[in-house]
Amino acid sequence: MSTVPFRLITPAEVVFEGEAELVIAVTTEGEEGVLPHHAPLLAVLRPGVLRANVRGAAASERFEVATGPGFIQALPDAVTVLVDEVVRFEDVDVAKTREELGAASAAHDRSAEEFALAKLRLTGH
Amino acid sequence: MATVRELRDRIRSLKNTQQITKAMKQVAAAKIRRAEAAQRRARPCAEAISEMLRRLSAEVSESSVAHPFFKDGNPAAVPGVILMTADKGLAGAFNSNVIRAAESYAQQNHGATFYTIGIKARNAVRRMGQSEHPTWTLAGDKLETARAVAARAGEDFAEGRISRLVLISSRFISMMSQKPEVIPLLRVPRHFVVSPAGRESEKPQLRGAVEFLPSPEFVLARLLPKYLEFTIFSTMLETDAAFFAAQLIAMSNATDNAGKAIDELTIAMNNARQAAITKELLEVVAGAEALAG
Repeated sequence: MSTVPFRLITPAEVVFEGEAELVIAVTTEGEEGVLPHHAPLLAVLRPGVLRANVRGAAASERFEVATGPGFIQALPDAVTVLVDEVVRFEDVDVAKTREELGAASAAHDRSAEEFALAKLRLTGH
Repeated sequence: MATVRELRDRIRSLKNTQQITKAMKQVAAAKIRRAEAAQRRARPCAEAISEMLRRLSAEVSESSVAHPFFKDGNPAAVPGVILMTADKGLAGAFNSNVIRAAESYAQQNHGATFYTIGIKARNAVRRMGQSEHPTWTLAGDKLETARAVAARAGEDFAEGRISRLVLISSRFISMMSQKPEVIPLLRVPRHFVVSPAGRESEKPQLRGAVEFLPSPEFVLARLLPKYLEFTIFSTMLETDAAFFAAQLIAMSNATDNAGKAIDELTIAMNNARQAAITKELLEVVAGAEALAG
């Protein structure tokens, strides 16, 4: 299978550099899969999971990380993904993240209530 | 003339100082390598951002972009200045050179609103009379700090509280030389969108060649804040490296000067000791002669 040079970059470092057979990123318009010789593309990425089939030592390997918002630039001879941050799954502290998620969704609910209340006061319904 | 004991005490205290400056020199040498490595790691990101901006520049015209970073700022307001220094001193004139550059910039522009990164910058701006200003340290998570600074200053620019935004920091020219530099940040310099005249011929070829999702304008609007953040971030890395270079030189000079002073004092001490011995000998001889006589 043919491959294309693929780089995953954050402001602080190059997270991955190698040959990829396929790169799948979550753009604001939905998932976008990029194969070698892709037509030039520049897209905005949402926070999501970046997946790629990369050329490993012997066979192709699955490369999967969570990324912050960013950009993907695909050219026929290079794919560059530039994101704010990269989180490897093995680095995720499940208990801590659950706690953060709980706090965030509680804050979300609270502000939704406040919003509904304020709307009620203003419009009466 | 100082006594032998006084001179010996001064030499001992100088040797202690020399040990400290020598240790600081070695620490600076180690840290500068780390700071330079961090700068190298950030370079691919700079290249990626500028390449994306170049591609976009072929596609969008100035008028089609509604982003506030592309509009002239409020002319009635004062300029915003991000002043960046190190947190610590003991690096020669490193911090004061940057601070002086900022003072003269503020004077030329009849005032400025400061955002400071680095404790030395914070103290300097407080002395200038802006005791309550947004301020961050250079140490800590640099990416997070850069994001916070970019968000705060970007918002002030977009809402017309500052006329433009510049970054005043130290440029790492070489190990021996660091110079203060004023980098314009906002509004975004025109050449980012409108390519220089020489490249005008490239435009038709590039136009339409790249597919932008969802649209060139949207991509640009997302990329501009990133560009601002990243410029601040990479300048922080540069300030780090430049600071340790300045500290290395300052501490190396201090160590040499202490060595020279120790040599001079040692000679003075030996002279004093010899004078005392000679004087004692003379007294003994004189006494013996008196007895013999």
